[in-house]
Amino acid sequence: MSATVQDLAAPVPAEAEVAPPRRPGTFARLMREPVAAIAFVLTMVIIVSAVLAPWLAPTDFFHNDLAQAMAVPGTEGLPLGADAQGRDMVTRLLYGMRMTLMMAVAAVALGGVLGAMVGFAAAFYRRADAALMRVMDVMLSFPAILFGLALAAIFGPGLLAVVLATAVATVPLMARIVRGAALGVMAQDYIEAARSTGMSDARIIWRHVAPNCLSSIFVFTTLRFGQVILLGSALSFLGLGAQPPTAELGAMASEGRNFLFFAPHIAIIPSLAIFAIVLVFNLLGDALRDALDPKLRV
Amino acid sequence: MGRHAVQRILMAIPVLLGVVLVGFLLMQVVPTDPALVRAGPTATPDVVEALRRDLGLDRPLYEQFGLYLWRLVQGDLGVSIINNVPVIHELGNTIGPTLELMVASLIWAIPIGIALGTAGAYWRGTVIDRLITGFGVAGGSIPVFFLGLALIWYVGFQLQLLPFTGRGGPLWTIEGLKAIALPALTLGGTFIGPVARMTRTAVLDVLGADHVRTARAKGLGEYRVVTRHALRNALIPVVTLVGLQIGYLLGGAVVTETVFSWPGVGRLAVGSILSADFPMAQGTIIVLSLGFIIINLVVDVLYAALDPRMRTA
Repeated sequence: MSATVQDLAAPVPAEAEVAPPRRPGTFARLMREPVAAIAFVLTMVIIVSAVLAPWLAPTDFFHNDLAQAMAVPGTEGLPLGADAQGRDMVTRLLYGMRMTLMMAVAAVALGGVLGAMVGFAAAFYRRADAALMRVMDVMLSFPAILFGLALAAIFGPGLLAVVLATAVATVPLMARIVRGAALGVMAQDYIEAARSTGMSDARIIWRHVAPNCLSSIFVFTTLRFGQVILLGSALSFLGLGAQPPTAELGAMASEGRNFLFFAPHIAIIPSLAIFAIVLVFNLLGDALRDALDPKLRV
Repeated sequence: MGRHAVQRILMAIPVLLGVVLVGFLLMQVVPTDPALVRAGPTATPDVVEALRRDLGLDRPLYEQFGLYLWRLVQGDLGVSIINNVPVIHELGNTIGPTLELMVASLIWAIPIGIALGTAGAYWRGTVIDRLITGFGVAGGSIPVFFLGLALIWYVGFQLQLLPFTGRGGPLWTIEGLKAIALPALTLGGTFIGPVARMTRTAVLDVLGADHVRTARAKGLGEYRVVTRHALRNALIPVVTLVGLQIGYLLGGAVVTETVFSWPGVGRLAVGSILSADFPMAQGTIIVLSLGFIIINLVVDVLYAALDPRMRTA
């Protein structure tokens, strides 16, 4: 079982046989669709402004001016107005987006990795398949909001509960997607070839199976991102997630709800932001699916 | 078919036990002493001690779990820490309004969703299809609370058309109907998109089938072809998928109830978690999960009953 045999056997069929997910032209094809192109640009804008929030924000995060409390959008120096404590809504919005996106990244990463591991295990170890997927079915059958309620009851309301709940809800979905994709790859001859060279299971999964499942995983992750934001911000809106003074879009909408009749913009602006972000991710995910993986079309 | 139903019910049992176990463990990790709570603030230490023995809190965990199950079967879920009301009592009061809200939302959202999905499939690829698909994507991206707040602000506050807090009374009264209108619009509104998308896919599948071509070939009108031959066959998967989406609706119901102060289980759950009323929180979570398992089970068995192919399988 020398290294040379493995190295010879490994890369050749992978490149020759399977259409690689990152083939040149996919991106170009994606950009030819106007909706996809716009969604892609907006996604970049959202991500960049969330990452750069501390530098883009016009005021310090903790800065407030009670004289400006509930200032309407368009007030001098406050393009989006101010909230009930006189904090600049632009600053709050940028930090809120940042927190919401971080929450979603953490949840999708955690749930996605666990789900992918389950999915690969189910596809690879056929004997464990039925049991694993049965557990996933049960998890899938529970509404995510129940995970949120239970975890918030156990850990107390907070971001941890929201991230865990949305991650748990992501696990069975990712497991299904990965299992399906992996089963398709496992039927290929080059997996048999890799096996015959004596490669370890983990190495086969990592080197040969996983890379060829990437496009499915990528499409799912993009679509899931929007769902997780929707779910997480709903939990925060209920008071089970981010706690004040943390700026998180759902929590901001919840705070603004108390002033709905005097200053509707305090609730409407973060709500609109969530809507826009989720919409953009959904549009991008749909477009990616059409471009990369038409089989996933439901 | 009968075997299928029995199988599904048997499979639901471990899930049920799991839910109950989670509820039990929830009560173990919380920092309050149930005996102390039940005895009340004026109780002497030996009263608390007696109660602790009564409740079985001095026994090992597995025995406590047995006791817990036994009490659960009898409908004893403990008492609220906040107002000393039996949990089961409070749950009994809130289940009705939650069911009311869900039914009131489904009753208008499903027909509209099915109509939109069918139209999208029939005029596939046209502007109409694109509009409906776009509407579905937008509907699936809107936060429930946003829809609720927007309706409260515009219809309730600006136009002063409909009330937006609490339940107005029984549904057969004008007040009751008025009060449920906005919550049902909110919750149903988020459900149209998914229903339309699922219907569109199902109808598209059927429209390409041979029997539809036959129906057209024998000169049936388009309306009849679509409604009688395509939609009817597409409805089986739609019913199942919609049934399995009830969980999605439940999540929306929790948010909608909170936004509109609707006195349902979801609002009770959120309120009890926020006020650290653990017995109540546990009760609501168990009831919501139970309801959910039962709905899934019924949909599953119904599907087998509806679809003859499932009977032989």
